[in-house]
Amino acid sequence: MAETTDTTRKKSQVADINRSLYDFKMSEEGYERYADGLSTDIVRAISDKKDEPEWMLELRLKALAAYEEMEMPANWGPSIEMLDLNHISAYVSPKTKQASSWDDVPEDIKNTFERLGIPEAERESLAGVGAQYDSEIVYHNMREEVADQGVIYTTIEDALHDPELEPIVHEYFGTLIPMRDHKFAALHYAVWSGGSFVYVPEGVTLPYPLQSYFRLNAQGAGQFEHTLIIVEPGADLHFIEGCSAPKYYEANLHAGAVELFVKDHAKLRYSTIENWSKNMFNLNTKRATVGADSIMEWVSGSFGSHVSYLYPTTFLQGARSSCEFTGITFAGATQDLDTGCKVILNGPDTTASVDTKSISKDGGINTFRSSIVVGRRADRACATVSCASLMLDDISRSDTIPAMDVRNGSASVGHEATIGRISDDTILYLMSRGCSEGEARTMVVNGFADPVSKELPMEYAIEMNNLIKLEMEGAIG
Amino acid sequence: MATQIITADQTDTLALSHVNVPPAQTWNYLRINDIAFDVPTPHFVGDVYARLPQLFGKLECGIGDEAVSWMEHASGDARYVEVRASEPQTVYVDIDSSKTEVHDTGVLVRAGASATIVTCAHGEQGGTSSSLLRVIAERDARVSIVEIVACGEGQQHLDAIGIEAAEGARIEMRQYALGGAKVALGLCCNLAGASSRFVLDTRYLAVGSDVLDVNHVVRQRGRSTRADIVTTGILADAARKTMRETIDLIHGAKFAEGSEIETVLVTGDDVVNKTLPVILCDEEDVAGNHGASIGAISPEQLDFMRSRGLSEDEAERLFVRAMFDDAVIHANGAETRTAVLNRAETVLGADVARDMAEVLGFDTEEA
Repeated sequence: MAETTDTTRKKSQVADINRSLYDFKMSEEGYERYADGLSTDIVRAISDKKDEPEWMLELRLKALAAYEEMEMPANWGPSIEMLDLNHISAYVSPKTKQASSWDDVPEDIKNTFERLGIPEAERESLAGVGAQYDSEIVYHNMREEVADQGVIYTTIEDALHDPELEPIVHEYFGTLIPMRDHKFAALHYAVWSGGSFVYVPEGVTLPYPLQSYFRLNAQGAGQFEHTLIIVEPGADLHFIEGCSAPKYYEANLHAGAVELFVKDHAKLRYSTIENWSKNMFNLNTKRATVGADSIMEWVSGSFGSHVSYLYPTTFLQGARSSCEFTGITFAGATQDLDTGCKVILNGPDTTASVDTKSISKDGGINTFRSSIVVGRRADRACATVSCASLMLDDISRSDTIPAMDVRNGSASVGHEATIGRISDDTILYLMSRGCSEGEARTMVVNGFADPVSKELPMEYAIEMNNLIKLEMEGAIG
Repeated sequence: MATQIITADQTDTLALSHVNVPPAQTWNYLRINDIAFDVPTPHFVGDVYARLPQLFGKLECGIGDEAVSWMEHASGDARYVEVRASEPQTVYVDIDSSKTEVHDTGVLVRAGASATIVTCAHGEQGGTSSSLLRVIAERDARVSIVEIVACGEGQQHLDAIGIEAAEGARIEMRQYALGGAKVALGLCCNLAGASSRFVLDTRYLAVGSDVLDVNHVVRQRGRSTRADIVTTGILADAARKTMRETIDLIHGAKFAEGSEIETVLVTGDDVVNKTLPVILCDEEDVAGNHGASIGAISPEQLDFMRSRGLSEDEAERLFVRAMFDDAVIHANGAETRTAVLNRAETVLGADVARDMAEVLGFDTEEA
C-alpha cells in the first residue's frame, strides 16, 4: 500500500488542557514572605515559627547540609537549569490562622477554593478536607462520625504539638524517604511546611475519601508540604490529593514528600490529580511501605508543571502484599514530564501491576520511567508493567525507560510498551461502522485515557476529562 | 590475517569505567547504566599499523567510545574487507581468547552485494580478548552476521559491533553468548537509509558466576525502516546479566517500526537479572513495541514434563541443549562449530556434546 503523504493525512486535533479554571491570582498583600534563597537563618526561622521540638530543628539543619552537598544526577532526567533557588522563597504564608469552618477563612482564599470546587466536594463526597494555601494549611475539617471512629486527620504541625501524636510523628517522620534520597528530598526536609497527618486505627474503614488540596498562589515561591499517613492493620482509606497554581513567568517549585505506612491486612488508595502551572518545577517524592496481605493503590493524573520528576515508590514488604499503579500523563507545549513509578517486591507472593498512559502534543516531552526490583526473598513474586504512549504531532517526544532487576528464580515479571500514533486502520474501522472521522478519533483518545478516569471517583474523573478536554476534529494536517 | 596479540603485562591494567552505556540512562542506584572493565594496557612502541578507512570511524558500536578506543589501540592492526556485488563472501573472524587476541575488522558491503560475517570468540584460559567489527552495508546490500562468544570460565571478553545500513539494505544477525567469566556485548545498528531492515536474534546462556552485559541500540533514521529484536536467554546458578535494548525512533523516520522482545528463563536461586528495554520516540508516524517475560519454568510446564518422565533439572538441561543445538546449526564453518561444541562439552558434558554432533551430522567434521 502506498504511504500516505504528509499533506493529505488527516491529523487528530486535541485541545490543550483548559487551565482557565486554575489560572487566577490573588494579591499577596499582607502575606508573610521569607527572603529568597536558602540559609541556616531561614531554616531556623521556619522552625521557630512552628515552635517545633528540638529533634525537628536538628533534622532540618542536617537536611540543609545534605542539600548543599548533594548534586542532581547529570546522566538522566529533564534539565532544571532554569530553577534558581536564590530566587525562590521557601516560606510564604497568608496572615490567617487555620480554620475548621469555611466561614472563618479569609474571603479571597475562600473564593479560591470555592472556584476549585473544594467546599462543594467536601459537602458531597468527602470524609474530610485539608486545604493548604502557599506554605500553610488554612482549612482543616473532618466529619464527626469519622473522628468518632478514632481517625486522626490533622496537620503535621498540630500533631507535633499534641503530646499523644508527637511520638508517633517522631517515630515515622522521615523514615521512609531518607533525607539523602536525592537533592530535593534533602531540600524538602530542610524547609518543609504544611501537609497532613492521617492516622486510621485498626479495623476502621472510611466510607468516604479524605482530601488534601494544595494551592500555590505566590509568585517565585516553593511549596514543601509533608504528608504522613499511617493505616493500621485491617483499616481502609482512600486519600485524594489535588494541586494547582496560577501561571507566572518565573519559576515556582514544589518539593513535597508523601510517606505512607500501610500495615498488615490494610488497604490504601492514594489518588492524585496534579495540575500545577507551566512555570512549576515539580520535584515531588512519594513512598509507601506495605505490610502482609495489604493493598496499595496509586491513581495518578499528571497534567501540569514545566518539569516533573515524579515516581511514587512502593515497598511490598509483607507476604502477599500487592500494589497497583494506574497513571496518565499529558505533556503539552513547554512541558517536560519525567514520570512513572518504582516497585520493590521484597515479600513472598507479592504482586505488582503498573498500567500507564501518556499523551504528548505541541512539543511536549513525556518520559515514562519505572523500576521493578524483585528481591531475593520474594518467592513467587509477580509483576507486570504496561505503558502506552500516544504521539499527537511530530514535534513532541515520548520515551519509555523501564528497568527491571529480578533476583529471585521463582519470580515472574512481564513488561510491555507501545508508542505510536492513532492507527489509520482503527479510524477506518470505526468510520466503516458509521462514525465520522472526528468521532472516531475522539473515541480512540477517550478510550486511551479511560483506564485511569474510571479509577477515579466520579467528580474527579469529570475533572480529569475537563482537563484533557479532548476536542477532536478532523483537520488537514 | 591482521590480528595482534596483546603483549602487555597482564598486571598493567587500564580501567574502562563506562562500557555499554545506553542512549537513555536511568537511576544510578540500580547500577544498570554501565559496566566497568579492567583491561590490559596496550603497549606498542615504534610500530606502525594499518587502520580502517575513516568512514568506519564514525560508526557507533554500542559498547562506547572508551572501549572502542581501547580495542583500536590494543588490536594494533586492522583488517579491511570489501565485498562486491559480483562476489558474495563469507568473512571469518576467529578470536582465540586463550591468546588474549584483539581483532579490529571493517567490512564494506557494496551496493547489492551479499556478505556473511562470522565472529567467534573461544578459549578456556584466563585473560582478556576482544573483537571490534564494523560493517557498512550500502544500498540493497544483504548482510548476515553470526556472532558467537563461547569463552571459558576464566575469560573476560569484549565484543563490539557497529553497523550502518543504507537504503534497502537488510541485516540479519544471530548473536550467541554461551560463556565467559565477564562478557560485554555492545551493538549499534544505524538504519540510515529508507526501508532498511535489521533483524536480531540473540540467545544467551550464563552459568556459575558469569557476568554478561549487553547493550543493543538501533537508531532508526530512515523512513519505513524496521527493526525486530528477539532475545532468549537462560540464567543459572549465580549468573548476573544486564540486558539493555534501545530502539531510537529518530525525527524523520516516518512509518518506521521497531520491536523488541525478551524471554528469560531463570533456573538459579542466586541469579541477578537486569533488563532495561527502552523506546525513544521523536516522531509521530511510527510504532515502537517492547515485551519482556522473565520467570522460571511454570508449575504447569513442570507437571507436563514430569508426566513425560523428565525431572526439573533434566528439563532445564534440555533448554540449554536446545540453545547449543541452535548455535551449532547456525555456526557457519567447522571451526566455529567446534568452538560451540567444546563449550557445550564444558557445560553439558562430553556425552551430550558428542550426541549433539552426531544428531546434527557434524560428528565426522574436522575443524
